[in-house]
Amino acid sequence: MSVPSAVSAPGPLRRNPLWTRAFHAFNLLVLLVMAASGLQIYNANPVFGGREGATVPALFTLGGWLAGARDWHFGFMGLYAANLGLWTCLLLQRRHRRLAAAGDLGTLRASGNAPKRRLAAHRITYTLMLIVLAFSLISGLAMYKPAQFWWLVSLFAFAEPAGHPSWQVLRVCHFATIPAIALLLAVHVGLSWRIGGLRLLRAMVF
Amino acid sequence: MLSRRRSLGLLLGSGSSLVLGGCALDGWSGTVGAATQPLNERVEALLQRRGTVPEFDRRQVQPEALLINSFNGTPRIEPASYRLAVAGAVQRPLRLDLAALAALPQRECVIRHVCVEGWAAIVAWSGPRLADVLALAGPSPLAGYLAIRSADQYFETWDLASALHPQTLLATHMNGAPLAAGNGAPVRLASPIKLGYKQSKWVTGLELMSRLGERRGTWEDQGYEWFAGL
Repeated sequence: MSVPSAVSAPGPLRRNPLWTRAFHAFNLLVLLVMAASGLQIYNANPVFGGREGATVPALFTLGGWLAGARDWHFGFMGLYAANLGLWTCLLLQRRHRRLAAAGDLGTLRASGNAPKRRLAAHRITYTLMLIVLAFSLISGLAMYKPAQFWWLVSLFAFAEPAGHPSWQVLRVCHFATIPAIALLLAVHVGLSWRIGGLRLLRAMVF
Repeated sequence: MLSRRRSLGLLLGSGSSLVLGGCALDGWSGTVGAATQPLNERVEALLQRRGTVPEFDRRQVQPEALLINSFNGTPRIEPASYRLAVAGAVQRPLRLDLAALAALPQRECVIRHVCVEGWAAIVAWSGPRLADVLALAGPSPLAGYLAIRSADQYFETWDLASALHPQTLLATHMNGAPLAAGNGAPVRLASPIKLGYKQSKWVTGLELMSRLGERRGTWEDQGYEWFAGL
């Protein structure tokens, strides 16, 4: 049977420390707010196609209209940044073994031990999620204050020789963090389930 | 295995109902804004004290990217009869014609015009500095805000520091040609430090004020942020 050993192992449930669970839950909640209000802002002038472009269904949006969505998006950006920043600092200091290391790529390529490979894949996924979330903050800041952080916007000028203005590249990049994080989230949930099952879920959530 | 599957289904179900819940949360937008905007606006004003914004090259202007927004049609203003009223907390209330504006030092700013909707366009605006126009009237030291009235009844209020910014212009020309009617002819605001909705077109009146009144702006009164700095 291929049930992961962590699921069938006996013994009391070892929950993650409260700070881990709190940061994790709050991050998910704030991420949903940022993504849904961001999609409502998207609808004011779709990144792809402009005024004639397709809009996101109201089911996935938050705010009701542009000004309402901006209320949510800019109301929660500070909490989102503070939560992510503190959490990353604590992870680096106390739980850096959860983050990817150079050895993980080697494990993925060479190891025949399936659970070990899953663990390496999960650490890479987890680290990529933190990187994508940080990138959403940086690209968002560039769009929020392009006059003050003009040098941040200029980082997105790499495609100008090919005829893509830095502003459009910045908008595409900021938007792309939503599908990227959705994909990583699916992998993260799937791998966590394979690795720890309901036990891991309980240790992380409840 | 079944209970695990069921739990996973429950998890996914509760996740999507959070998304669905968004509809019920829409009514809270104004509350969230009221709770967070004062702090955001303070930070924005602090950031803005960092001097001039780097400008673009004239060759980078994107005439096709500048979309036209108007809340109340396009007023047609006869240049010969145009007057700009400068009033309020000033020593000398003025009525300036276009020749008086043209006689002031002219400045060109090649800046990114950013719309609240998300699009942006690099535009070369030129005309006198708003600060120079206000200086003609001799602002009272008590003045802290500027109200801007437009021919189409559009209304705006600015903090005086942003109005006096060296790159805030009363533009009469765009990309080297006189302003078109749709872009705010004969006189409009242009500035690299504010969102597009702060940059009134068809400007006919400036009023210095010591405090903000009931009306803060056509869109601000509907729920948009007042400071709207970039």
